[in-house]
Amino acid sequence: MTHSLHRSGDIESQKKDYVWFMYQTKGVNDKNIKPKALEFIAVAEAAGSENWGDVKTGPTVMYSSDYIKMLLSDKTRIRGVFTRSEQVVEFLKKIKEKDVGMSVVIAGVLSEVLPACKEAGVIPHSVNYSLGIWGKKDNLPDDVTLSVTTMCGHHMISPKFVKHVMNRVEKGKMTPEEGALQLASFCYCGIFNHIRCADIIRENT
Amino acid sequence: MPVVNVKKCTGCRACHIYCSVEAISYEAKKAFIDPDLCTECYVCVRQKVCPEGAIETIEFDTFNKQFQHVLSDPVETHGVTGVTGRGTEEVKTNDVTGRVKRGEVGLSIDMGRPGMGVYLRDAEKVAMAAAKAGFKLAPQEETPLAAMMEDLSTGKLKDDCLDYRLLSVIVEGKCEEDRLKDVLLALKDIANEIDTVFSLGLISRVDENGECGALKCLDQVGIPQPHRGKVNVGLGKPLSLD
Repeated sequence: MTHSLHRSGDIESQKKDYVWFMYQTKGVNDKNIKPKALEFIAVAEAAGSENWGDVKTGPTVMYSSDYIKMLLSDKTRIRGVFTRSEQVVEFLKKIKEKDVGMSVVIAGVLSEVLPACKEAGVIPHSVNYSLGIWGKKDNLPDDVTLSVTTMCGHHMISPKFVKHVMNRVEKGKMTPEEGALQLASFCYCGIFNHIRCADIIRENT
Repeated sequence: MPVVNVKKCTGCRACHIYCSVEAISYEAKKAFIDPDLCTECYVCVRQKVCPEGAIETIEFDTFNKQFQHVLSDPVETHGVTGVTGRGTEEVKTNDVTGRVKRGEVGLSIDMGRPGMGVYLRDAEKVAMAAAKAGFKLAPQEETPLAAMMEDLSTGKLKDDCLDYRLLSVIVEGKCEEDRLKDVLLALKDIANEIDTVFSLGLISRVDENGECGALKCLDQVGIPQPHRGKVNVGLGKPLSLD
């Protein structure tokens, strides 16, 4: 899956958006995941991960950290989001020190992520580059809506839902932050950046 | 499969805004989920979007429906690859699997994304066009769509699955770096012949500075240089040095 790769929107806005992942490889290092996941979570929380989750349980914007930790298993997929490159540096430094042996991936704007890797002392192995959207683009939603929906790469958030939330914010029925949290609760992976989303809603209502 | 219990549905229209693929409509003042449009992503079920609890589930009646659900609902784990979401590890574990080696380029063709959904007939068109240009499609141990292929060397899918719609599915594989230009040109052509979109990812080994020589090819075929990437930072063990 590539659900964190193809985020869209203004580049400066994307520079406040970094997705982190811990990955186990089937048949190689996919057993006894819970203690390793707990190490990752501790480091990510210390670095200030705004949202994180296990797709099997849900994100921290919906459930408590302790509840998600309790349900960790070998099927677990841990991932989350940072809003600053400094957090990425801190996260990578600590994870390297822990030497857990799991694959670690950071998705974001390359001009920010690659220097962060260098500062943290990790050497990139491979990159999946986003070459954009191809095909029949006429029916895509507008750019602002797309910049929100693509933060849940599995597209659990519909364009109409985004419009609905923005409409309620415009009418003063909820704040941008409340709207962003409502949208974030539909992204089970925990990689929806509700901080950036609140900014987008605020700037466009 | 999600269905509406018409005895419980009040026709309040609260549910339809949550459907990513607009599969919910209204007939005779009741909500209706069109099984041909529904991708079985289960957002409506999991998020309990009906205040009356009128959206219920019934068992999948075919293998293809089950496949739709496993691929469209990120909470599910794919049975063969053991991976959630669209069921593929792509670059995420390349530091351990070494699937894409130096001198090779992987492509992750994310059909139906963002948010438009994809009928498998369009995924077949793209897979066949890429394969014809020298792209080696990944086997079913690595990516779920291969399980629906009659012939991995051509990308031809089984006829009975072509009219099923998924929220997205990944056409995945790799080629030698010197074939990349041909494959990208084939994708440019076929992109005009599908009734949906795809998001394209190019996977490559990189040097110690994160630089990738394969990106030079993009200029030759008129594709803008990428500004986003998913960086595998090489901390997995045992580390593949290929």
